[in-house]
Amino acid sequence: MSGASLPLAPAPAMAASGRRHLPFWLGAVGVAVLLFVALRAIGNDYGYFAGYFILQYVVLATAWNILGGYAGYVNFGAAGFMAAGAYTAIALRKATGLDLLPGIAAAATVGALLGLGTGYLTLRLRGVYFSIATLCLAVVLQTLVVNWDYVGGSRGAYIVRPREVAPFTSYGEYLFLVMLVLAVLAVGIARTVEVTRLGRGLQAIRDNERAAEAVGVPTLRLKLIATALCGALMAVAGAPLPYYSGYLNPEGAFSLAYAVNAIAMPLIGGAGTWAGPVIGAVLLGSLQQAATVTISSALNLFIVGWMLVIFVAVAPRGILGWFRRRR
Amino acid sequence: MTRMTRRALGRLAAGATVLAAAPGLSFAQGSNPLRIGYSMSLSGGLAPNGRSSLLAHRIWQEDVNARGGILGRPVELVYYDDQSSPANVPGLYTKLLDVDRVDMVTSSYATVMIAPSMPVVMQRNMCYVTLLGAGVNEAFKYDRYFNMNVTGDDIRANYAKGFLDVAARLPTPPRSIAILAVDNEFAQKAAESARYLSKQRGLRIVYDRSYPPTTVDFTPTLRSIQSARPDLIFIGSYPPDSNGILRAASELRITAQMFGGGMIGPQIAAVQAQLGPILNNLVTWDIYSPEPTMDFPGIRAFQEKYRARAVQEQVDVLGNYLQPYAYAQMQVVEQALNRVGKLDQAALAKDMHASTFNTVVGDIRFGIHGEWAEPRNLLVQFQGIRDGDLEKYKKPGAKVILFPENLKSGELRIPYGVPA
Repeated sequence: MSGASLPLAPAPAMAASGRRHLPFWLGAVGVAVLLFVALRAIGNDYGYFAGYFILQYVVLATAWNILGGYAGYVNFGAAGFMAAGAYTAIALRKATGLDLLPGIAAAATVGALLGLGTGYLTLRLRGVYFSIATLCLAVVLQTLVVNWDYVGGSRGAYIVRPREVAPFTSYGEYLFLVMLVLAVLAVGIARTVEVTRLGRGLQAIRDNERAAEAVGVPTLRLKLIATALCGALMAVAGAPLPYYSGYLNPEGAFSLAYAVNAIAMPLIGGAGTWAGPVIGAVLLGSLQQAATVTISSALNLFIVGWMLVIFVAVAPRGILGWFRRRR
Repeated sequence: MTRMTRRALGRLAAGATVLAAAPGLSFAQGSNPLRIGYSMSLSGGLAPNGRSSLLAHRIWQEDVNARGGILGRPVELVYYDDQSSPANVPGLYTKLLDVDRVDMVTSSYATVMIAPSMPVVMQRNMCYVTLLGAGVNEAFKYDRYFNMNVTGDDIRANYAKGFLDVAARLPTPPRSIAILAVDNEFAQKAAESARYLSKQRGLRIVYDRSYPPTTVDFTPTLRSIQSARPDLIFIGSYPPDSNGILRAASELRITAQMFGGGMIGPQIAAVQAQLGPILNNLVTWDIYSPEPTMDFPGIRAFQEKYRARAVQEQVDVLGNYLQPYAYAQMQVVEQALNRVGKLDQAALAKDMHASTFNTVVGDIRFGIHGEWAEPRNLLVQFQGIRDGDLEKYKKPGAKVILFPENLKSGELRIPYGVPA
């Protein structure tokens, strides 16, 4: 993408990693099962809530990375897509009474369509102009939600969730498991994108879009697929939010923290690789959660800001890029 | 110059972390303290009210510990900053209940902070005394929820009642009203109440609009209201926009028989100091005023302690708004625990439903849904305001109570917009 200046980790050897789908999925499922069993053994609901907080950022950062990391199109509208997912879940519940899982499916559909539409309208813009357009999208969506009384409008919407869901010990455990599955799926999708022709095409667009187009890369089609995937995953990250908090208002749903973290986490972990956003989300998410209950949570965005400054200065390609360079 | 080694830096960082975390935002006072946990908005948009509520809680804690604590145990407050972000609240309450294992929970200030804590509190069947929520329990219908707010169960029927009741006694009975409200939950409920009661009383609504919270220039809006020539102007606004609206009204020299209604902001000391004479004859909703009719037992002692520390703590210097209610919130917990004599949440809830609480904001009882059984929305008028000096707000006469009748301390002065 012309004008794109994201520091990116070097692309891994695709042909080799492309043959390693099964070990990845087995490994990812194994880690997820271990995590779940460990938290269940601890038997403390706070672990589930802290885990949910971090995992939602794994999904969000991974989604951002598909468009921002692989294709080099920086999306500032993460909070907008996430809120679109959250409000889809609320609207579906109000209209049909359907619960969390159908809400997630609906959010994925709405997010994908929104991403596709946004991509179609804005992908002719490049660099900072595309980023501004995505920022505008979040503002437009917030204005729509504020004026949409059916989903609570400016007053916000209440979701009275069930106290328990069989066979889980608590609703927090259920929510954690749902987000854990979503995180595994999101990372798996991102990795699949990375090691297939789609990912190679997106990386070609990132390096030089005109050259990519000249050698036959269907740039618009690939970018639309990327925006749709990115939008769907971001919306999926937001769908459980009203069930997590029991109440959602536009200010909370469109919080600046989501937009900032969605960008900061992949950049700190290493944008352009599937593992980078996971590392960034776990590192920053854990730090923020720890700061919330120890020092003072007012430092949360301060921590993100300083981490970004430090990484831009010391490791501009993120943690993964730093390790690869040292090797 | 001594060079710092990497190991020394590491030790220093670890030490700093431990020191920073050591206060842990919990304050042990002895063996086996009774722990009361909550999240509080100490940063972000709700911080001014959050921080002054916390000071009120700490004053209560000192008072109660000086009396020997509750159930023979010293009281410890365990609180975390929720950053005014609803998304942080469920995790914090889970931490309070599952990790810190607090004995009781209370709430932060405001509906948007109370609502996200409800599922977690309900899951553990805890008794929950909240601060200035607005209709939170309409959705949850939790039988152990108790809210410290004057609005009562039916906000629509009660909130604007004072404004319209006082307006009905004007020398020239009003025939029209303009309603303007910011796009947020509380202000919209206020506007809904004004709309509902105006229709009931046959008032013609000549202007009825909302504005987004980000609005900064109210001149076009107020010109539009002015052109509709309403007799009454009812405004539901929050502090930043209340300032903008009142300044614009002053610049445009807007006059109406009654102006105000449901503005949040003029209750805050900093706003009173900034706006000075612009507040003169403003009529608005409130929850406390230092008038003789609200001289409840303990309120003066509380305000003396609060004001002595407010400047140093950099919070609202007067404590004339939600601070007495924050103190009273903890008095409700204290009195219920002392009556029941044990930490039985079901018994505590039963007691809270059945008993009258003697607090610094008067005697209160809770209704079936946990709101005050008797709503007590005040309608106050700023009178004789010539400057921004705050001393006058410590004494009766500056913020006169017009409604309800049993607390009335002065007569209405009209119109708004004339100098004192």
